[in-house]
Amino acid sequence: MSVRLSGITMQYPGTRALDHVDADFTFHEVHGLIGENGAGKTTLVSILGGSKQPTEGTLYINDAKAELASAGDALRKGIAHVSQEGSLVASLSGAQNILLGDEPRNRFGIIDKRNLEKRAADLMSHWFPDVSIDLSEPVEYLPMADQKVIEIVRALRGDIKLLILDEPTATLPAREKENLWRIIRSLPKRGVGVVLISHFLSEVKALSDRITVLRDGRHITTLPGSEVTEAQLVDLMLQRNGLAASQQASQEERSFGSVVLQLSDWKVGGVEVDSLSLRAGEILGLIGLTGAGHFGFARSLYTGEGFISGTTLFRGKAVPNLSARIMKANGVAFIPDQRMENSLIGDWDVRENLAMVHPARGALGKTGILSPAREETHARNAMSLFNVKAHSSAQKIKDLSGGNKQKVSIGKWLYGTPDRYNLMIFVEPTEGVDIGAKREIHRHLKRMASEGAAIIVASSDLMEIAEISDRVIAFVSGKAGPEIERAAFSESRFIAAMAGVTS
Amino acid sequence: MSAQARPAAEIRSHAAEKGKSQWLLKYSTLIALVILFLGFALTVDRFLTTSNLLNIVQQISMLTIVGAGLTFGFGAKEMDLSVGYTVGLTGILVPLMLISGVPLPLALLGGIAAGFAVGAANSMLVTLIGIPSLIATLATGSILYGLNFMTTGGRAIYGGLPDTYLWLGQGQLLGIPVLAYAMVLFVLLAWFLMERTIFGRYIYAVGGNLKAAELSGVNGRFYRSAALVVCSLFAAVAGMLLAARLGSGQPNAGERYLLDGLATVFIGMTMIRPGTATVIGTFFGALFIGVINNGLNLIGMDTYIQSIVKGLIILVAVAIVSRTTNLRLL
Repeated sequence: MSVRLSGITMQYPGTRALDHVDADFTFHEVHGLIGENGAGKTTLVSILGGSKQPTEGTLYINDAKAELASAGDALRKGIAHVSQEGSLVASLSGAQNILLGDEPRNRFGIIDKRNLEKRAADLMSHWFPDVSIDLSEPVEYLPMADQKVIEIVRALRGDIKLLILDEPTATLPAREKENLWRIIRSLPKRGVGVVLISHFLSEVKALSDRITVLRDGRHITTLPGSEVTEAQLVDLMLQRNGLAASQQASQEERSFGSVVLQLSDWKVGGVEVDSLSLRAGEILGLIGLTGAGHFGFARSLYTGEGFISGTTLFRGKAVPNLSARIMKANGVAFIPDQRMENSLIGDWDVRENLAMVHPARGALGKTGILSPAREETHARNAMSLFNVKAHSSAQKIKDLSGGNKQKVSIGKWLYGTPDRYNLMIFVEPTEGVDIGAKREIHRHLKRMASEGAAIIVASSDLMEIAEISDRVIAFVSGKAGPEIERAAFSESRFIAAMAGVTS
Repeated sequence: MSAQARPAAEIRSHAAEKGKSQWLLKYSTLIALVILFLGFALTVDRFLTTSNLLNIVQQISMLTIVGAGLTFGFGAKEMDLSVGYTVGLTGILVPLMLISGVPLPLALLGGIAAGFAVGAANSMLVTLIGIPSLIATLATGSILYGLNFMTTGGRAIYGGLPDTYLWLGQGQLLGIPVLAYAMVLFVLLAWFLMERTIFGRYIYAVGGNLKAAELSGVNGRFYRSAALVVCSLFAAVAGMLLAARLGSGQPNAGERYLLDGLATVFIGMTMIRPGTATVIGTFFGALFIGVINNGLNLIGMDTYIQSIVKGLIILVAVAIVSRTTNLRLL
């Protein structure tokens, strides 16, 4: 009762994404799949889910040789793939999404709404009897975790034996994750195997019966989840030994400079911040549950979107009208989340993307005329500063891995002469980024802080916040809560603060 | 990825395969153009004569200028459907001014100002009020059409145009039509702005990802507006040259420049950077349209057949672009 891969190889022009990978995924286990970005996880599950065909190798379902011609073909053979991005139609209800493309119709060929709602509810209660989600609401109004559950139920609507979950919790706040974890754990008991890809190693370890590690397109090992530590997993992924991965750079005492940003009585959108001040060299972490407002606040601090009232003192001077251009001119950098939507142009090459913020540095004097040679030099410098892995600066952004895209998204602010920003605002700086790139990005954040930038990081990754912040503010339902100093950092303290528990 | 482990021959064949399909895509239009040219040259007697080739150049020069302007609009993902009537507008405005005694430089400046006014109106409707450019310019085009006929009473304006003005559209310099120089000048100007300046880079940026551009500190409203203003300015120039070539101002002379202009851009989008409007691509697109128009004319094909042929060409070009890239225009 399994899907077995034998000698699977995937050759792309110029790169071999998978190199003779053997693996088996049974129908009564959660099977974690880990590796750095570019290790071949996505390619492997694309093959498993039928959307890509390997250049070599064989796939067996229950020991019978099988070929998966397409994602639809894989579905018919019992393998479903829930991708990272989410595939729900935002304006349709949960029930409509669950039965999308398979709607019950009455004899006039018109969708039978009552029957549709009943069938969707039956499916939901069949798979997850103790979950209650309002299936009549448009899914865009539902919490992210509920949306994920709806996607999973939709994937399970056929006769599915193996469910691939690609980063199911990447977009979820910590609190909502636990429900989803329970749901994932319950599936193998019902005869549905799960292939789980996640950047959160603690999650992989907690959920998986077995864990397969990929590195550079090769199968490194498959281990029982209970017999391995997170640190060992990191070592396997990064091919290091001896050096414990969990060994974190001890936080050296840093001295902070003058006050850069001072807010009082801020109201923006649905968010209130009574007072906030930030000094040069300091890293301030913003945390909160989904909808707590910390992401929106961080963004509005740069764009001024939704600003209602309050005073903003920037380096001692009042800034009456916030806007991206004014803040940029004041030496503020903003590195948003969802980089392909907010930061990068997929069809542009690396060089053009890097030049987007400060194109004048690749120009001839102040003429506004671009010099290809200068642009190339600056692009190369930025690429090597951030260790961006690309064939050349002429490679298109959309063809890079997540970690490299993120490095370009940050690197474009440092194109040309490395800037000393007064303030840098990051939202989810390591979203969908592998652990190696994550470490590098954290190192850069600390370096830029030590060079005198005040830094604000809004993140849903509490480990990240604990690792890099000097101070943390938890947002609760649109209000900035009390500050937590570094000495008092702990996961339980963060979670309590996000839930509004003050102690 | 481990580069050493994979067999070199295999990689090379893959790379060659990918390279070949890319190459085919990029150059298929150029190959089609060459075949078309050779086809006409072999079958139509008068096609391959100096005077006819110069004629083609003259015919496409205005079209190329309109297309080059539209390339700015497409770069910023803004459509300008009013260009044809802007061509018509300056095509009657400048002759009218000249006939009533306005000196030539001033009249030309007046034409430019009219183009700027149309572009400013379009961009205000689009960026300040928020009407999608496709709709806004469709409407302003209709208004211009009405104005053009109102001003002239539907009649052509001719007689009494100064020789220097007519020379711009009909004269030659060193055996080459003045219009050809104008075309080269404006193509080079457009190419330089789009490919070699921050201005052009930002026009492409707001078209490529408006949100990302604005969060990078780019003034999205300005560059979207600028793209629409350039569309109108180039159309205005084309209109002034067109009237000089025709020797009269005709209220409906500009109409065909809309569809033909869009066609040049679409054809151009199949080459250079497939899916993106480029000035050089547009130039070859105009050449394509020019050769077809001219060849079919010489054969004696009816204008409505030409219209069908052009419609099909646009469909093929857009089909190629849509199939190979994720083209979005609205």
